[in-house]
Amino acid sequence: MERDTFTKEDMLRYILIFLLLLFFLFPIFMMLLTSFKPDDAVLTKPPTWIFKPTFDNYRYAFQEADFALFLKNTLIVSTISTLFVIVLGSLASYSFARYDVGKGHVMFFILTTRMFPAIAVILPYFVLFRGIGETVIGQLLNIGLDTLGALVITYTMFNLPFAIWLMFSFFQEIPIELEDSARLDGYRRFQVFYKVVLPLAAPGIVVTAIFSLIFAWNEFLFAFMLTRLDARTMTVGVAGFWTQRGILWGPLSAAAVIGVVPTLIFALSLQRYFVRGLTFGAVRG
Amino acid sequence: MSATTTENSRIKSLKKTRNQRKKKGMSDNVYSILLVTPAMIIIGISALFPLFYAINIAFRYADLTSPVGIGEFVGLDNFRFALNDDFFWNSTKVTLTFAISAVSIEMVLGIGIAFLLNGTKWLKGLTRSVLLLPIAAAPAAVGLIWRYMYHPEFGVIGYYLNHNPLSALLNIEEINMLGNLKLALPSIVLFDVWQWTPFVAIIVLAGLQSLPKEPFEAAKLDGASSFMVHTKLTFPMLAPVLTLVFLLRSIDALRLYDAVFSLTRGGPGTATETLTFYLYRLGLVKFRMDQASAIALLFLYVSVVFTIFAMRWLSKFQSERITER
Repeated sequence: MERDTFTKEDMLRYILIFLLLLFFLFPIFMMLLTSFKPDDAVLTKPPTWIFKPTFDNYRYAFQEADFALFLKNTLIVSTISTLFVIVLGSLASYSFARYDVGKGHVMFFILTTRMFPAIAVILPYFVLFRGIGETVIGQLLNIGLDTLGALVITYTMFNLPFAIWLMFSFFQEIPIELEDSARLDGYRRFQVFYKVVLPLAAPGIVVTAIFSLIFAWNEFLFAFMLTRLDARTMTVGVAGFWTQRGILWGPLSAAAVIGVVPTLIFALSLQRYFVRGLTFGAVRG
Repeated sequence: MSATTTENSRIKSLKKTRNQRKKKGMSDNVYSILLVTPAMIIIGISALFPLFYAINIAFRYADLTSPVGIGEFVGLDNFRFALNDDFFWNSTKVTLTFAISAVSIEMVLGIGIAFLLNGTKWLKGLTRSVLLLPIAAAPAAVGLIWRYMYHPEFGVIGYYLNHNPLSALLNIEEINMLGNLKLALPSIVLFDVWQWTPFVAIIVLAGLQSLPKEPFEAAKLDGASSFMVHTKLTFPMLAPVLTLVFLLRSIDALRLYDAVFSLTRGGPGTATETLTFYLYRLGLVKFRMDQASAIALLFLYVSVVFTIFAMRWLSKFQSERITER
């Protein structure tokens, strides 16, 4: 029997849900609130709730801390690495899905590499990039410590396994018959891939790209270890407001807002696929 | 019937394409391996280079602050050091305590929220949007916001924790969540619960909504109690999704780093120093690469073994999903 009336049980349920949403929204709300607080409202006892909003913190983040540079670096690194990830990943993933290369063992190996703790590989990466940076090739290609090239390579490395797995489930859903008939129509094998398969797998590729962007955007550890000044990214920049003289909460919040909001918008606009992406393509949203 | 006819036509067309292929000369094998090669080279380098590097250095003396740098072969000394190192065992304990408590709270809460949301009629879109926010936010950035909220004097959590009628009545001493030896780790757990409970909730909800309706209708006709329905139907059918979420969360929780860095930097003392954070301190602050590499290898070994078991489950689940279709 369908209930159309609003029962006491419903009431309780919605009150609970409301409280939960409050809990999950609250820190984001605090971040926004603090970012608009004037200096004298940030460190008060008790915390100030009503104040005259100001953009001073945002101005500070951009003028004093060169947040424009951090933002630019993050944008460059995440888009270029995502581009690499999509191109290399879609080729490989299609091959795994269509031709079953390695009978699943290679796919398994790929997934295991994604599970390596980042900190365990960071020492060798550090030494590797320091070494490359001292060579002519490294200087030419802008790869080395504190360069964007090193971050692009690192992010490509750690996003590739995930991307291959995520796209795999999308490629698998494309009926083989379509590819076969395209072959019969005289398409070459690679034409089949980019004229028939890729357009059909577009949603999967978009989701993978968004995820790869978010991961690279939010990444902290590698960026923190491999950069000093020129190649600093947004997350490291936010942590930079934790200075020796204390934490500059106002500008820090403004910086965090600038850094976090783009990923939130991404996630919200692709909700349905987001769920699928979170589970390596295993659960449909 | 229709399945077999499509199967037949597929075989036919495959044979045709195969004949065409002979003319062009590239076999499926060569083509498929060509496609995989660029990605595999990158993955191979990114996985194997650090591994061999760490193996090499873990058996040597390597203090990067000394002029010698990477020195001579010392056998198992670094592993011996690791196993006798109090900081190593402390950080292992911290990591396990964190992972077990955070993941179990997230699972229980997340499943609860999923069941709560599954019965709702209104505002589904809104609730899901709100739940997605913590997951998409950079932990390194929101972690710092939480640090501000925990501040005992100026933060919302810290201030109201110390200034409320109850604490005045009971005359409780001022509590500093992140500065307290006993409360610092639970504070990080709370942050992690905030960030990752929505993940559990959203995925379990997706699992709940994709369950077939028929068994539940049959159970209703048979007059089964809701307790019976849940223990005999819902949870067994949800098992694969629950396992998946549990594994993904555990693997992540064992590698916790960003939150520790933003919230406490391992302190007070070493109360919140997770393994990954200790590795960072040993290898990249004290520059004892040899000892850090040995510990990294031990960690790697344990997590790969764990991952292999985890992935067995996952791939079993994946193949079940594929055969279902």
